[in-house]
Amino acid sequence: MSGLATPIIMGFLLGGLYALIALGLSLVFGVMKLINLAHGDLVLLSTYTAYVVMTKLGLDPLLSLVFSIPLLFVIGFVLQRYVLKRASLISMEAPLIITFGLSLVLQNLFQIIWSPMSRGLQASYATSSFGLFGASVPLVYLFDFVIALVVMLFLHLFLQHTYLGKAINAASQDRRAAQLMGIDTNHVYALAFAIALTTAAVAGVFLGLTFPFTPQSGVSFLIIAFGVIIIGGLGSMLGTFIGGIILGLAQTLGGHFFGAAAQMLVVYGIVLFVLAIRPKGIFGR
Amino acid sequence: MKDFISRARGGLALLSAIVLLAVLPLLGLPRDWILYFFLFYIYLAMANMWNLLAGYSGLMSLCQPAFIGLAGYTLVIITWSGLSFYLGIICGAVMAAIFAVLISIPVFRLSGIYFAIGTLVIPEALRIVFFLWRPVGGKLQGGGAGYMIKGVGGVSMSQLYWFAFVLAAASVIIMRLILRSRLGLGLSSIRDNDRAAACCGIAVFKLKLYSFIISAFVTGLAGSVFYVYQQFIEPATAFNIKWTMIVILATVIGGMGIEEGPFVGTIIVVFLHFLLAKYAGVSLLIQGAILVIIMLIAPQGIMGYLRGTRAYRFVLRHATGNGLIKADIGN
Repeated sequence: MSGLATPIIMGFLLGGLYALIALGLSLVFGVMKLINLAHGDLVLLSTYTAYVVMTKLGLDPLLSLVFSIPLLFVIGFVLQRYVLKRASLISMEAPLIITFGLSLVLQNLFQIIWSPMSRGLQASYATSSFGLFGASVPLVYLFDFVIALVVMLFLHLFLQHTYLGKAINAASQDRRAAQLMGIDTNHVYALAFAIALTTAAVAGVFLGLTFPFTPQSGVSFLIIAFGVIIIGGLGSMLGTFIGGIILGLAQTLGGHFFGAAAQMLVVYGIVLFVLAIRPKGIFGR
Repeated sequence: MKDFISRARGGLALLSAIVLLAVLPLLGLPRDWILYFFLFYIYLAMANMWNLLAGYSGLMSLCQPAFIGLAGYTLVIITWSGLSFYLGIICGAVMAAIFAVLISIPVFRLSGIYFAIGTLVIPEALRIVFFLWRPVGGKLQGGGAGYMIKGVGGVSMSQLYWFAFVLAAASVIIMRLILRSRLGLGLSSIRDNDRAAACCGIAVFKLKLYSFIISAFVTGLAGSVFYVYQQFIEPATAFNIKWTMIVILATVIGGMGIEEGPFVGTIIVVFLHFLLAKYAGVSLLIQGAILVIIMLIAPQGIMGYLRGTRAYRFVLRHATGNGLIKADIGN
């Protein structure tokens, strides 16, 4: 059984990272009822920012968050305030088509600037590993997990205990009622989108430290994030966390049994399977 | 009488345009031109079929590449077994339709955005499958897991042109027939309000499934004709999101949920491909940007915008006699 310890521990820890990727998508979906098809590519934007900081400035990839968090915050705010707000008035599918267009713009931008080659973020702590229950696990997986917990805890406290957090909650539950209570919902939506992309920025850097990435990786990040939401159900942070762990385990165990090339196939298969049996998600209400 | 004359004149113009397009390859045009026309027909058929789903059935399908790629690979299997590629084209389309039935089990339980993402997963999954699976064994060509399509070396460009021409014409006729049938009426009612439609006794699931299967079949047909031209297939381009981009762009530029929309949109998309042919890298980037801008400034597309203008109604009235009334019903 010792052979299984490594994929199980790795999958569990990886689940934290997957929950972190899904967090932003879930927040946007929960509050504005829109799916941001460019979510994966925006996560990747932060990864590439880290890549530039690492190669051009020679700094630790983690320091790139100083740039990528404000960058994605502003992108999120502007995108919601000036583009998606208008789009959501046009029709139900308009935001979907617009974010799809945006996703292709970003994807091809990455490809032009950084070429289609597979890249990776390097740091001294990313390559070392530690032993646990007889399994050897890369240290960066533990980082992923801890960071994910920290970000989720922060977001939870923020949504429960600050005025803005409560306003976001209120606007997501009943937009008109929130407006009548004096909440500027357009502003709150824009800030919610900005905060969602901030979590995406954090997720991007850790993804880059964990996996190699190409300009096309955004689509698989999006599917992972969506899969986590599907499994975990909406509006539940615990569900998101469990969804992340299930997909993380699916990937590493899939890789263990069917080879590394097929591991994403197992993830996609689980997403489709859950969609077929319970579209609202296993933990959805 | 006046009505009759103007209609006959309109019909004559259409007929001569069709005849002209049909004999185009015989006029000795440069091969590039014929190729752009060929692409126009292929994209038109695909865009029409996406319009049927997204514009008329409320199904934002992002899995059209799955139908195209599966049809292409079926073509490979058939031609490698030594059978005719004609059979391969048909089998490819049939395979796409069968696949549509299979995936309808999970994805038809979803609606709206869930459906969109559910269908997005499918081509991604198939791409990995075809990276791992060697359907006909044998040697791979190209960098990835590519296969040559056998027995199509003798197909001339004019022949391909006619295939694509017939296909595009068929897709236009299919759309016309569907929209004027009970299926079309049922679909529009589902798109506008699926609960109300179900209450009126419309079999929502069945009608959506029909349009999904028709769409898969014709898209698969277009895909296999394209691969007869390409003579080579590999998973990364076959199950590429680029196909989705083309059909969405063509439909959205022309006008989603408007019968003529894909026709107008595809002309522009092919023209864009022609303009941007030298800049392959930025081509998709610019197309993505155009998609965003069009959606924001003219969400109904060009035809939707024109329909709202006075000049268009004037032209229509004089071209078809009672066009004004028709256009109003169409809206």
